[in-house]
Amino acid sequence: MRLSIPAVAVWGRTAPSHSITAIMITDDQQTIVTGSQEGQICLWDLSSELKISSKEILFGHTASVTCLAKAREFEKQPYVVSATENGEMCVWNVTSGLCIEKTKLPYRHTAIYYYHCSFRMTGEGWLLCFGEYQDVLIIDAKTLGVLHTLSSQSSDWINCMCIVRSARIQEDSLVAVSVTGVLKAWDLSSSLTSIQERQNVYEKESKSLNCMNCRAIRFCTYTERLLLVVSSRCWQVYDYCDFSLLCTEFCKSGQCFAGGEVLAAYRLIIWTEDGYSYIYQLLNSGLSKSTYPADGKVLKETVYPHLLCFTDVKENKSFPFVMGFMNERKEPFYKILFSGEASGRITLWHVPDVPASTFDGSPKEIPISTMWTLQDNFNKAHSVSEGIIDHLCESKDGIENAVVTSSVYIPSLDKLVCGCDNGKIFITLGLETARARFLENVSLKGNLPHKVLNGHSSRVTCLLYPHGNSVRFDPSWLLSGGQDSTVICWDIFTGKILHRFSLQSGPVTELLRSPDNCKLQYHSVVCCVCSDHSVAVLHLQKKVCLLHARKHLFPVKKIKFDPTENLLIVGCEDDSVYVWEVETGTLERHETGEIAKAILSSIEDSEHLVADSLHPVSQDSRRNKNVQYKSSSSYKRGMMSYNLTQTEKSSDKVTDNSLILQPFTVLPVKTKWNDENFHVLLFDLEKLVDILLSSQLCGLKSSNSFHNYDALERAKSTTEKRALTLKRNKTAGFTLSMDGQVDTVCANQVNIDSNAIRPLEESGGIKRQKKKKSSRKTKTQPSGNIDVNITTDTAKLLLSCLLPWGVDKEIDNLCVGQLDILRLRCPVAFGLVSNESHFSLMLPGWKCTDGGVLEEHTLSNLFSKRVLDLSNKYLAATEGHTGEKDGTVNNVYGTKGAEIIFFLLSRIVLINRVFNMPSADTSQIESLEERGGTKNIDPCAAKDCASSTKL
Amino acid sequence: MAAAMVSSAERAVLEEEFKWLLQEEVHAVLKQLQDILKEASHRFALPAGGSEGAAKQENFVLSVAGMDQVKGVLTLQGDALCQADLNLKMPRSNQLLHFTFREDKQWKLQQIQDARNHVNQAIYLLMNRDVNYHFKTGSEVLKLMDAVMLQLSRARNRLTTPATLTLPEIASSGLTKMFSPALPPDILVNFYINLNKLCLTVYQLHVLQPSTTKNFKPAGGSILHNPGAMFEFGNQRYEVSHVHKMECVVPWLNDALVFFTVSLQLCQQLKDKISVFSSYWNYKPY
Repeated sequence: MRLSIPAVAVWGRTAPSHSITAIMITDDQQTIVTGSQEGQICLWDLSSELKISSKEILFGHTASVTCLAKAREFEKQPYVVSATENGEMCVWNVTSGLCIEKTKLPYRHTAIYYYHCSFRMTGEGWLLCFGEYQDVLIIDAKTLGVLHTLSSQSSDWINCMCIVRSARIQEDSLVAVSVTGVLKAWDLSSSLTSIQERQNVYEKESKSLNCMNCRAIRFCTYTERLLLVVSSRCWQVYDYCDFSLLCTEFCKSGQCFAGGEVLAAYRLIIWTEDGYSYIYQLLNSGLSKSTYPADGKVLKETVYPHLLCFTDVKENKSFPFVMGFMNERKEPFYKILFSGEASGRITLWHVPDVPASTFDGSPKEIPISTMWTLQDNFNKAHSVSEGIIDHLCESKDGIENAVVTSSVYIPSLDKLVCGCDNGKIFITLGLETARARFLENVSLKGNLPHKVLNGHSSRVTCLLYPHGNSVRFDPSWLLSGGQDSTVICWDIFTGKILHRFSLQSGPVTELLRSPDNCKLQYHSVVCCVCSDHSVAVLHLQKKVCLLHARKHLFPVKKIKFDPTENLLIVGCEDDSVYVWEVETGTLERHETGEIAKAILSSIEDSEHLVADSLHPVSQDSRRNKNVQYKSSSSYKRGMMSYNLTQTEKSSDKVTDNSLILQPFTVLPVKTKWNDENFHVLLFDLEKLVDILLSSQLCGLKSSNSFHNYDALERAKSTTEKRALTLKRNKTAGFTLSMDGQVDTVCANQVNIDSNAIRPLEESGGIKRQKKKKSSRKTKTQPSGNIDVNITTDTAKLLLSCLLPWGVDKEIDNLCVGQLDILRLRCPVAFGLVSNESHFSLMLPGWKCTDGGVLEEHTLSNLFSKRVLDLSNKYLAATEGHTGEKDGTVNNVYGTKGAEIIFFLLSRIVLINRVFNMPSADTSQIESLEERGGTKNIDPCAAKDCASSTKL
Repeated sequence: MAAAMVSSAERAVLEEEFKWLLQEEVHAVLKQLQDILKEASHRFALPAGGSEGAAKQENFVLSVAGMDQVKGVLTLQGDALCQADLNLKMPRSNQLLHFTFREDKQWKLQQIQDARNHVNQAIYLLMNRDVNYHFKTGSEVLKLMDAVMLQLSRARNRLTTPATLTLPEIASSGLTKMFSPALPPDILVNFYINLNKLCLTVYQLHVLQPSTTKNFKPAGGSILHNPGAMFEFGNQRYEVSHVHKMECVVPWLNDALVFFTVSLQLCQQLKDKISVFSSYWNYKPY
């Protein structure tokens, strides 16, 4: 089951770094997918006018993305597969951002091709992969398991390949070129069965092309004859029938070809590593110029290229470019040349259907259609991309928003500690800060309780609250490391400096607490990694630096403590190991190779400190959950894993309750190459409801005796009205899947609710039932630990984020005035959690175009204009019998506010549960509810149904 | 050290130095790296396009010191073992067995092939930024170095870590079918590279009778299996009775490994140089 943890992203002003290493456009030309060196995947919305807007960012990979490809027939399922440097593979739904399937294989792919042969294949098709391994690997597109390999006589790595589908020869073949320049061709469709039976499949032809560094090979489907081979120095055209060379064109000096595609019959587009592309027309030169007159056979015809057009990215080039071309002949689709750069910029060119040179015959330049970066979106939607404590800095002393460079959230104190690039450290209350950031309420901002710690002279690079993970540390200790090479131990409650360690070895990059099982005298010890690859062991109680190990040549990858012999074992990135004696500070041993591995693995069972300095965040997560880490011990823990699994874990076993669990957490996320942190707010829905319930249990016992029936009915109908829009909204926000069915589910569900006008007791009964059910849980948990007010505020914040503001003025006022659910200042960026290590976050600019028509202020948080339409219809229909008794309402809300909030929340939980059910169940429910919903219709609901199924 | 304390004059000097680093020093290091790696790549003697068979053949004699039970003469050509000559003296019967590779076959040493390909990838990465390329940011260099180092450390790892195979995997590999006369079923052969050495292991097996009282416990994957390791292959249970491990230093592999280590250090040093400047100001990460 998926976790029911709604997430809300708080972006900063700078976009996360996204160095594009792979780029593709989906078949419907509506989404651009890019993979980055940082490991994230970004989804971009491509409008029909070729305008780009960032949509979502997908987290989950821990290494650089090497390739992207479609993973299904796109019309049926919008799935895309991604592969990374360290062998991870993931299938994503690009409309919802969900991770569908994931795996980790010991293969590094450089490209993947989707192959499906509908009439001869069962299943979802194959992914044909090649990369840093021999020959071609066949992977099942659904399970991501390795099916088989296509082998060859002299195996080698494959550099490029293409699937040749020719109607003429009635056979799909795979043509590939190896790193040594040998062209190999396999039969695909006729060897389907032997592949399925895992028999060896060898190439049917192979030929040495004598071209090194082959970059692309393409078959011309228009002529069904030409084969384009692009290598870094030249491109060549071969005759597919007999593999004879037809023409060769070398590149300009200093340039390298990177790829190419066939535009039309005898028309090619070739692009280079540095962002140029060239469109050629192949002209027939007749027989006279044949290059093979001597071989005695029939004279071959040859072709020669004529340059028609070219494209260029003029300024701010950043290597390397990854380019691609999308060839669509049908309207309304375009022929698009696209490129992604290491700077994260995407450039599109619209290639005309019939490219032509200028009148005087010189090549014509095709203008750039669009250029876009993530930062552009952040600049455009600046209200969304405001940092979590920006408003604090402004109100304080007019400093232009200090960039948060490191942060830590302390759940037990609800304190958010943010270190900034100006050396200041802000300590605020997490929930209050989030409220102030999101909600439209001026009074919150000015007097938000916060502390500023001044101690560092430059950027704060890392923070550690050691007590958070291990009770042996003093709860008042807070450690901060800075660019100025100092580590300061603060008293978090008073803000005083307890001690300042000056290390003098470059910026502090990591602060790590010592393992739990080490000797008593080392109990309050932390380790500190500096950018000169040195490791300092600091004793907090004694306020001394026990050891400063400075001999490491390569970045530190692992730190371990040998508790018995008092040794510090440091593993570096070059796989060497340094063993230091902590007492004397001497280097005991320095080992490389097998011995180094043996030393590291022998200490595996004792506690480790650092995992991998390349991924500070994922490392963070691993460090914090040692149990998990040890069992997995590979590096695939994602960034989110810590908090998510922790919450998951603890909600599983509330009974043993070692952790005081808040229903609300702030997760700081730091991406590679980026100084700025952003934050993700996580709400634990189930938890929230449980806590609210337990608090209501006492307060609300017999409050079901109402005198004013009308008013309550009114209240109920409003809540339900709200629930209608709310749920629509919610589906959009959480599952982000715009499937029509999803909307139908909730629409119908609401129909049931609102149509069966139940007596009040019934609704009370339902609640009581729920209470009973969950009170079992709540009993086991010491509710005293959790402040009910905080929980209520959390619930209100969550509801604020979810409510469709501006749809109905009356309800808006009601919420703000009576329920104390405040308006949002700006639309929020939701997140969607697929599993413990994969999640997606909306980026600023997501669906901005949709709400842009309407006034920004009145309408926020609207996912689709259709919600508005529906609500209007609903209002029109219900106006008759709800618009009357306003006078009596107010006082009821006063007392019932909490209950209504709770009611709304429990609804959300319910919906969430429905969505989390296995798909088979869901469809059953859907059909059930559909029937139920349409039976007792009021006209509007029918319309709702109809329109929502259209969605 | 700290940014705030750097005066404007000092800052200007630093910026000048950083500019020099990006424009001059980086290219100098890249050039040096390319030279070293090309040298390493030559060692792998990739038959350059067109000149087939350019890779020269080298003979290596593998034997166990002081023992004449097993002796092998291997001929290495680039990434392939093109000839092998194996002499075995069976311990019990004192019978002398002689095997050679079939004429039409050669055995690709995947480790060498992979290492070679990784080096060439690294060279390709470096070649793309020639002297004319203008590095604008530090992180651009860092990213390039990361990519190059990844390739280099993989190349090195391929040579330093032989595949761990299970005995059934060795038995079923194509290697057993390479010999003429065919290897008897109670002999297994495996070739691999370990660091700078070409290694040959010969396992002598004996069949475990189904009635045997011994506890059958199949051995897992390992680079080198010890006598007593058991496995099941083709409905027959075997136990390793003798293991002969022979190795011979391949000089050019040693060179290649040294080149890898040196270039990895160069890369790291360049990265460190770039990172130093990040302490002074926030060099734009793109």
